[in-house]
Parts: sequence; structure tokens; C-alpha cells
Amino acid sequence: MTFDVTILAPHVPFLLKGALLTAEACALALAGSLVIGLIVAALRTSSSVILSRAAFIYVDLFRNIPFIVQLFFFFYGLPEIGIYIDAFTTGVIALSIAGGAFSSDVIRSGILAIDTGILEAAEVSGLSRSVIFRKIVMPIALRTSIRPLGSVFINLVLTSSILSTITLNELTGSAKIVASDTFRPFEVYAVLLIVYASLTYLVSLAIGALHRHLNRDRMPEVA
Amino acid sequence: MISVRGVRKSFGSATVLDGIDLEVHRGEVVSILGSSGSGKSTLVRCINGLEKLDGGRITVDDFDVSHPKQLAEARKRSATVFQLFNLYPHMTAVQNVTLAPIQVLKQSRTQAESAARALLDSVGLGARADAYPAQLSGGQRQRVGICRALAMKPSYLLLDEITSALDPEMTAEVLSILARLAKTGTTMVFVTHEIEFARTISSRIVFLDKGQLVVDLPTGQFFAPDGGMSKPRIAQFLSKMRKD
Amino acid sequence: MMRYTSFTSYDFILLAQGLGVSLALFLATTLIGLFVGTMWAIIRFYRVPVLTQFITFFAELLKNSPVLVQLFLVFFGLPALAKINITPVEAAVITLSGNTAAFIYVIAVSAIESIGRDQIESARVFGLSRWQVLRHVIAPQAVAFAIGPLTGLLVNQLQVTSLISVIGVVDLTKIGNILNLRTLKPFIVWTVVGGLYYVTAKLIAYGGARLEQRLRAHTAWKGL
Repeated sequence: MTFDVTILAPHVPFLLKGALLTAEACALALAGSLVIGLIVAALRTSSSVILSRAAFIYVDLFRNIPFIVQLFFFFYGLPEIGIYIDAFTTGVIALSIAGGAFSSDVIRSGILAIDTGILEAAEVSGLSRSVIFRKIVMPIALRTSIRPLGSVFINLVLTSSILSTITLNELTGSAKIVASDTFRPFEVYAVLLIVYASLTYLVSLAIGALHRHLNRDRMPEVA
Repeated sequence: MISVRGVRKSFGSATVLDGIDLEVHRGEVVSILGSSGSGKSTLVRCINGLEKLDGGRITVDDFDVSHPKQLAEARKRSATVFQLFNLYPHMTAVQNVTLAPIQVLKQSRTQAESAARALLDSVGLGARADAYPAQLSGGQRQRVGICRALAMKPSYLLLDEITSALDPEMTAEVLSILARLAKTGTTMVFVTHEIEFARTISSRIVFLDKGQLVVDLPTGQFFAPDGGMSKPRIAQFLSKMRKD
Repeated sequence: MMRYTSFTSYDFILLAQGLGVSLALFLATTLIGLFVGTMWAIIRFYRVPVLTQFITFFAELLKNSPVLVQLFLVFFGLPALAKINITPVEAAVITLSGNTAAFIYVIAVSAIESIGRDQIESARVFGLSRWQVLRHVIAPQAVAFAIGPLTGLLVNQLQVTSLISVIGVVDLTKIGNILNLRTLKPFIVWTVVGGLYYVTAKLIAYGGARLEQRLRAHTAWKGL
């Protein structure tokens, strides 16, 4: 029974390539989730019963079905209807759709928390509905929900490991290859665990900083 | 001209406005007085289209506020200052002031910004133009609120209890700006509790009670013993407010 | 050699079996996780030195790393390190229990902290031992507080069980894989599998809401 991490040294470049792929997928999925989350949150808070109902069904479904099932649905299903896209794109789409469901919930509560007086001021000044949404509702909702959105993003990073099940050699997928090449699975996965935990810790630090930056006006001024 | 004809408004079973008739012409400063719940704020919210009418008609320069397309035109002609300021919290003072001029009046950013800075400067906030609302005092916030309304170059300025949330010192800051505006001929509809101030700046005073317009008199006549004061409801209100 | 074939009535039994395996593992690991996580919270309540710090660190590590990697570490890593045999089901039970425990621990700690220090101190002043305070003052209130977050956690943990299909446990998702490969009808297969998970999740959420209602009524009655 030995525990020796140094045997991993020659495989670091390969693992870094995987980590880069994870970072790319997460960054794209983050953007996708935010766009979907904003649109769906707008629909859910809209006055149209049909639109808000449809948005609710989307959120309810994708929050209550395991991500791996969603992923397989797209990965095996899309070619069936003639859509051939690579595993990376499929993964990013699936992550965005699942992340969008969670983000929309967070953004929706951010929207509902906006003081109606502010919206009335915008309305009487003659701003159009789309300008009010883009310039007022969206930025206020986003900045109040930065922390919960951060948790959604951290979950996105952890969930991205599941993309290894559709032949994508992101961080976890690369680690699987290294584990079987070196016959040292314990070292590989123990290190991987620490890497992910450190990664999410860094993300949470970044979110804290972003939250402070966006809400800097509420901090005491540094004259 | 703002024209209010037979306006009725209820919330559930409570009738808040019960057949109001009122005209405000350009250049007038009309103060609307009345106790809490008399319907004065609701009247302003009907004029700027925030409340739907249950009866009657309101036009701003002949644009009917109950008609969606005309409401947009009516809103370009009036601007509202709110009791609780309602500033956009994520924007600096100058951004608060320039948003609508850029988006609605299609002014260029540089043009809107220099106008906004000049306005803020004129109310003594030149140095605070890039501060966020949370960094300003209540009085400063309300001054930004006034600038935001003025930046739209409105024909009519609607002021909805704009000093009710301020302490006396800050109230004085804000009222001095209104006094200056009144002198320059800005048309104002001023819903307020500040009776003495209303007396100094208004050309007319309107008194509302329980959703009905009790009197609509030139300021001098309103405070005359044989004018508004002859109505017991008004005399009672004035003596109570002065004691406070 | 199995040929690609359409669905048969036997597939219903396969799906039911898969769902049964998922549910059994979900229930077992929930109970173990509940017990372990609560024990951790109690250790923290007693402020046991070293152990408390270790548990906090360990729970953070489990919460902030992918369950899939935890599964691989237990299923592939542990046998290689310790030269033992671990079956997929054993690895699944160990990993899911540990993961659930980490989240239960967090919920339990905040539930205990939701009860004011003053309540605990005044009970101590009356001469109750730390255990008596825990048993009679904290536990009843903490349980009522924790039911809401607990329901959310369980709905989530049900979904997490789907990952054990990756190490070969024949749960609902694995059955989905098998049917998918055999019938080549991914849309139908994954819609049915997703639907079964969805309904189960809704039942858990419904049960949690009902339980919360009953506990609320119970504590309100006791308060009279």
C-alpha cells in the first residue's frame, strides 16, 4: 500500500489539456445558462399566462431529471433527427439548458425583489418595455443574485465532469485515461478531487469579489 | 393643458377619486392639498398613467392617457418626481438623469451628459454627479430625482409628496429648488403637506377630501377668511397641519 | 448475439427493476447519510477538538468535488490502494452515503445554529446536561427547521444516484443505456427514463411538504 503522487508528473500536461477543455466548456455553458436564464426569467415574470406556464414547465422538468439522463437524451437523440454535432457542443448545450433552468429561478427571484417604484419611475419617463428590461430590470436582478448565481456556476463546474461519459476528454475524462495508463487510480482520483475542490474554491472567491465590485456603491466610500 | 374630467378611481370597494374635474394650464403652479387618503397621490398617478381610470377622462395636451399610443405622447410631456425618489440604484446620479433623454428623446450621450451635469450642478450636486444613489443623502437623492425629471424638458412637472420622506433640513434643500423653478415659469402639479411653502409658490390651490374636489381657488383666495377658510373641512385641516 | 429489436413488454419489468435499484440505493444511502451527517453535527456541537476540524474539512471536500470523481476514487482507487475488492454496489453505497452525509451535516449544523444560544444557555442554567439540551430542546426544533432544506437535498440526491450507472450498477439510468443500445430509439428511451425520475422526484417533494406541514402543526400544538 503506497501513495505516491509523483508518478503523475509526466501526465500533468495531458491533464492540463483536459482542464482547459473543462474551463472552455464551463465558460461557454455559463454564458449559455445566463442567456437562457434571463430569457426564461423574463418569460416567467411576464403577464402572459401561456408564456409563464411554459417557462415554469421547462424549469420544473430540467431541475427534476438527472443531468446524465438529459445529456444522453441529447447525445444519442440529436443524431437520430439528423443533427450531427460533436460531443463538446452537445455537452455545452446540455449544460447550458440545465444551468439555464437553475439560473432562471435565481434571476426570477432577483426580478421579483425589485422595488416597483423604480419600475414605475422608468415607465413614466417613457422608456420602452425592452429598454426597461435591458437597462434596469436585468442589471438590478443580476447584481442582487450574483451569490446564488455563483452557486449555480459552481454546480455547473462539478456537473461538467459528467461530460466524460459522452467520450469527452475534459478534466475527468483525461484523468480516467491517466488512471488506466498508470494503474494508479487512487492517486489520480485523489488529486482530481483536490483539484476540483480548489477550482470551486477559487470560483467562489472570484464570485465574492465580483459581488463586492457590483455592489460597491453600498460600501463605504474610499475618498 | 392637463385636463381632468369626471375622473373616478376605486381600489376594490374603496372609492379613492370620486368625480374629479381639474385643469392645469402652462405656467401655473397648482398645489394639491388634502389629508392622507384624500386621493391626491392617486390623482397624480392617474395623470401619469400609472393607474387605470374607472371613469372620466384625462388628457395632457390633448393626448388621452387611457389610450396606450397617446399615453406615450402624454408621458413625453410630463415628468414625475416621486416621494421615495425611485432612483435606479445601479446607476450613478448622472446615469440616472441621462437614461431617458438618450433612450426616449434620442439625445447623443455627450449632449445628454453635459446637460445632466449642468442640471446637477444647478442643484448643488456638481461634485456628486458620479455617486451612486446609496452614497447620497435623502435630500441629495431627491435633488437627483428632480434633475431626472427636468432632463426630459417636460411641459408639466408632477411632484408627488416629494418631501414627505425627508427630514426638515433636507426638505428645505429640495423646496428651495422648487421655488427657483416656479420663478422660471415651470408648470407644476405639486402634491404636498407643506402648506406654507405651497402658499408661497402656488398660483392655485386645490383641496381634496375623501376623493372629491372641495375647492379650486387662486392661492390668495384659498387662504382668505371668506375664501377656502370658510369651509370647515379646510379650516380644520389647516389648523391641524400648522400645529404639526 | 442480441439483434437490434423493438420494445417488448419485458422492458417494463427491466425499467421497474432499474427504478427499484435506484430507489433502494437512494433510501439506503439517505438513511446512512442522515445518521452519519447527524453524528458529525453532534460531534461539532460537543466541540470535539481535531475531529470537528477534520469533519468540517472533509464535508467541504465532498460538497465541492464531483460525485463522479468520488465514485471513481472509491470504486477504482480504493481497491488499488488497499488491495481489497469493492463491488459497484458497495462503492455506490459508500460514495452516496458520504456525499449525502456531507450535505446533511451542513443542514444539521445550521438547524442547530438556528436555535438561539440563549435558549441553549438558559436550559444549561436549569441544570440540563448537554445531551439533555440536545435531546429535548434542540432536536425537536431543529428537525422542524431542517425538513424544508432536507426535502430539497433529497430531490437532488435522487438525481445523483443516476451517476452510479457509470461504474456499472444496473440502476434506472443503466437500464436506459441498455435499452438505448438495443432499440436505437434514444428519444423514447430517455424520455421514459427521465419521466420516471421526474415523477419520483415530485413524489419526494410532495412527501417532504406533507411532512413539514404535519411537523409544523405538531410543534404549534406543543407550543400551547
